[in-house]
Amino acid sequence: MASTTAKKNKLKNKDYVGVIMIIPFVVVFCIFSIYPVLRTLRLSFTNYKGYGDATFNGLDNYIRCLTDKFFWRALWNTIKMWGVNIILQLGLAFLLTIVFSDIKYKIKGLPVFRVIYYLPNLIAVTTVAILFSSLLDRSYGSVNQLLVHSGITKTPIDWLGKTSITPYVVSVIQTWMWFGNSFIMLMASVQGINNDYFEAAAIDGAGRWTVFGKITLPLIKPILLYVSITSLIGGLQLFDLPYLMCGGTVGNPAGSTQTVIMYLYKFGFETWQTGYASAVAYVLFLLVLIVSLIQFKVGGKED
Amino acid sequence: MVVSMVGCGNSDNNDAKDTKAETKAAETKAADDTKEADDTKEAEEGGLEGSLVIWTLAKDLETMAAKFVEENPGVTIDTTIIEPADYVSKTMTAILGGDDTIDIIVGEPQMLQPMFEAGMFEDLTAMGCDEFADDMVDYMLEVGQDEDGVQRAISYQICPSGFYYRRDIAQEVFGYDDPESVGELFSSYDKILETAQTLKDAGYAIFASDGELGYMSGDSAWVIDGELNVDQARYDYMDLCVDLYQGGYTTYASAWSSPWYAAMAGEVAYLKPDTNVWDADAVAEASEGADTTEVFAFGLPSWGVLTMRDNYGDTRGSWGICSGPSYGFGGGTWLGISTASHNKDLAWEFIKWVVADIDTVNWWIKTSEGDIPAYIPALEAHADDENEVYGGQKLFQFWLEQAEGIDYSKVTQYDTAIGDAWSEAINTIKTEAGTKEEAIATFYDTVASTYPEITINK
Repeated sequence: MASTTAKKNKLKNKDYVGVIMIIPFVVVFCIFSIYPVLRTLRLSFTNYKGYGDATFNGLDNYIRCLTDKFFWRALWNTIKMWGVNIILQLGLAFLLTIVFSDIKYKIKGLPVFRVIYYLPNLIAVTTVAILFSSLLDRSYGSVNQLLVHSGITKTPIDWLGKTSITPYVVSVIQTWMWFGNSFIMLMASVQGINNDYFEAAAIDGAGRWTVFGKITLPLIKPILLYVSITSLIGGLQLFDLPYLMCGGTVGNPAGSTQTVIMYLYKFGFETWQTGYASAVAYVLFLLVLIVSLIQFKVGGKED
Repeated sequence: MVVSMVGCGNSDNNDAKDTKAETKAAETKAADDTKEADDTKEAEEGGLEGSLVIWTLAKDLETMAAKFVEENPGVTIDTTIIEPADYVSKTMTAILGGDDTIDIIVGEPQMLQPMFEAGMFEDLTAMGCDEFADDMVDYMLEVGQDEDGVQRAISYQICPSGFYYRRDIAQEVFGYDDPESVGELFSSYDKILETAQTLKDAGYAIFASDGELGYMSGDSAWVIDGELNVDQARYDYMDLCVDLYQGGYTTYASAWSSPWYAAMAGEVAYLKPDTNVWDADAVAEASEGADTTEVFAFGLPSWGVLTMRDNYGDTRGSWGICSGPSYGFGGGTWLGISTASHNKDLAWEFIKWVVADIDTVNWWIKTSEGDIPAYIPALEAHADDENEVYGGQKLFQFWLEQAEGIDYSKVTQYDTAIGDAWSEAINTIKTEAGTKEEAIATFYDTVASTYPEITINK
């Protein structure tokens, strides 16, 4: 009798119910996320072509990747484009956060502005690529027409045809697409700060920048860390926009916009070198992991 | 990929017939009708039975499948058309993933070898393709063979390349318009440049784009015994493309863009080198007030007759087709049987019917309004057909001669990527985005990075 009661109580235990509820997710996650990741690792040590047998070739793929100057070029391109993007993106998001969270200004209509700033993020990247390719057309794009007719420049600028300009154009478009997302997260974090801190600071006569530096910034550090790490992961995996705007995996002009994922795509899907592409994927993963850990270490330090 | 889609797609619209045959063809038609009636009767009396699933990348096989079912009412065929860009990955994923419902699969030349290596295509020699192999154009058979020479796929069409030229312009500028004489104007890269200059002096543009020799860019092999081979012919081709572009001999319309198509119909504007030809507004603005010209020639494979048919407008009847500086080919659809199929016999009956049944091939010639069959008896039967759109030229005879000159043995699995890298180098030089030395150095580095197993001696 006592053991039956104990069993019944066990079944009624919510912990077990919770475990049962998440089993479907875990199974799907293991099949569609964990398994492909582990299989990719295995393939990275082979000469797999996407079909047929996968013959083990040791570290050949990794050595090839690390000694290929085009891989390092792609990595540098990616870091360059991501770096400019993150500075502009976070800078703009911060600026807007400061403006909208300022007690003195008390700007109204925050929900409306949040929607407006987030809209670029909702537009499909193919549409963005077509839009900006047209706007930035050297001869007849609206941007050049405006610049030339207003006298700002004498001749049209080749926005998508100069190695010194095109990568940064991609960065700016990425900023336009994502700054709204960063703004929403930073703003939500700021709104979560207890108002008493700001009132106390106001009473003590602290200026706007003092409040920002001593109160706002330290208290939003966790979300800032989250935004920077997710931006890093997303940025180092940049593919869609330069692929669509700059001539496919070639990364025109002259490979200056070829990112690591475009380089990987070329080998994985255009030249049937899946094993090598898998190794490239893992090299990128390791780089992202190392940088993320550094960010956690630096960003997670207590003042 | 757009090229492939155009090349392998045919309209089944029978309303407007552009191609007419003379009396002999009319007699052939009467005979065909009688035979068709007999076939229908035979089908009603028995015929084949079963069902087939076809995964293809253009409408051709869908049209053929409908005809096959008409003749064999006991057969049902389910046809799925997949975009060429997605075809290999989708088909490979399905079949290697265990899908055994697909019976017939296809591929364009550049798609076939990986699929052969993956073991997707059945051995057609074992199915009996030797019985009519001697009646098929050689290069078509070679494309469909794997590394060991086993026949894995065959095609119903051949796609040799040539230049589609304006007879009226040729007569006006050079004093003659017959294909043999005009072919001399395109017989070498030096001759092409001379021709371009003569035409420019007369107010015409030789080509709409500088890529018109893409299907005839030389017959030297890119890789010989594992070593990269960049011979003088390749450099000569590079120099010609750069000269055509920088010398203003073209209208700066990239192939397959709307101004490129428009040039087939007559007068077009000289665009600027940096005009975005894919943006209609940019083209319209660039055309406003610009000098105009007419384009002399387009370099296309045999399926170019369909591209021309859809775009030549008022210039219909003013065209001829001649040879280029080398033999070449482009596109085409090869059929094979999935190794996982459970209906291989029926699939083989369909493929045989498509490629080597004289009645089917004659029917397809009419239906497609210009496709060139790979079946030699059909080519010979139509050898004297005169095409009024092309000045009475005997096109079947011409294309057979061009196809017989193709040497497929020089094609390797590396050609697509290496060819793309060479095109990138040409683009860099012609737009002056880099020097010739830098562009060629980048080309060698790109090949070394892409295929480290290839030996490179610069």
